[in-house]
Amino acid sequence: MSRQRSMESILKSEYVSIGELVRLTDTRYSTLKHYTEEGMLPFEQQEENLTRRYRREETVARIELIKKLRSEGRSVPEVKELLSWK
Amino acid sequence: MSELTLAQSYTLVALNAQRSMEMTTAKKVALRCISAAVILEICLEQGLTQNDVHIRINKDQFEQSQHTVYRGLTIKSVARKPGIASDDLRSWLKKASRLSRRAMIQLERVMADSLQEIGLLEDIPHVLGCDLYFESAGVRVKQYRSDMGEYARIVESTRAEILEEGPLTDETICILWLLRESGCMREVFSLHELGRVNERLNALYATVPLIRQLFDIRISHGIELTIKRFLHLKREVTKTPIGRLVNFALPFIERSQAVFIETETLITNPTQRLHFVIDRLVANGNVVTVLQEGTIPSVRIDNLDYDVVTHAIYGRFPIYGVRLLPKSLV
Repeated sequence: MSRQRSMESILKSEYVSIGELVRLTDTRYSTLKHYTEEGMLPFEQQEENLTRRYRREETVARIELIKKLRSEGRSVPEVKELLSWK
Repeated sequence: MSELTLAQSYTLVALNAQRSMEMTTAKKVALRCISAAVILEICLEQGLTQNDVHIRINKDQFEQSQHTVYRGLTIKSVARKPGIASDDLRSWLKKASRLSRRAMIQLERVMADSLQEIGLLEDIPHVLGCDLYFESAGVRVKQYRSDMGEYARIVESTRAEILEEGPLTDETICILWLLRESGCMREVFSLHELGRVNERLNALYATVPLIRQLFDIRISHGIELTIKRFLHLKREVTKTPIGRLVNFALPFIERSQAVFIETETLITNPTQRLHFVIDRLVANGNVVTVLQEGTIPSVRIDNLDYDVVTHAIYGRFPIYGVRLLPKSLV
């Protein structure tokens, strides 16, 4: 076990966990989990431990894009379709 | 985005929606756990995970630092004699949970002030202050409101760590223990999620020393926790459709939720009635947003949603007005 990473070290790292994504993007855990299960947030998962790792920069940018599209009134299936075109 | 200490993070969760001017039972439970959070915070900095049986705390160190006034205050209240104190974790936490009323008031003031200074905690007027009986008696009621963004960040990142696979950080383990001891688990996790939390903690119990060390310790005071759980249950019940009807007919069952605002005369126009209510709330110091107009309007008062329903109290003569009924969040 270890101490929580400081925001400075999170912002320097290439990969982040879903808990750190919550801290970075101000988004609810259940929302991020739903987006992940819908395939909207790509992640990597190592064999030996099952922690999902997300590429920080791309995932944060993607969450911001999803938030923007959602604020424009688009539904999750619509956002999902738009993301698949990108 | 601020980097908060363990005690500050937990305080934002524990003091949210608590009465600020009275020492309620729920607030006592919260303050005992805030005091324990300060001890855990100090222990984490010294490397609690290294299986140290005795923890040495230098009181003078903490008193010197202005940023950690709350640490100095807690050590002063908990340690028997000034200077370097040495004891095991269980004793420290037990002592922290037995703070005197005076020490609790001081700790609350110091913690609340430190969070108010950085703009993460507000002392706002309670909607109950608008109620006919409180307003006419000149009783002021106030409550704490944590910054909703920061509150969500703390709660949601804790939920994310425990509900996902993977290692837990020491801070999350401490927050979970504090939530358990302060009876806040049901406020943060659903019943289904609690099963998962239990499963994960049981699985990690054998392999993680901090979980083993901490979750064997109980500091909660049975009577206080029972009262708190009962009041929480009562509040939750009043938000259900049947509970709302009971609350409407028998408002004294949940006085803090079914607030009555008198209009003096019968105002038949719903828009005029709504404006009257808004004026009263604004005069009390609340922030009101109209969510929906109509015969039964909905308003958001600070961060909670209410329905505004016409009502009259019949005694020797009728008193016309409206009743604010809390809306269910689910």
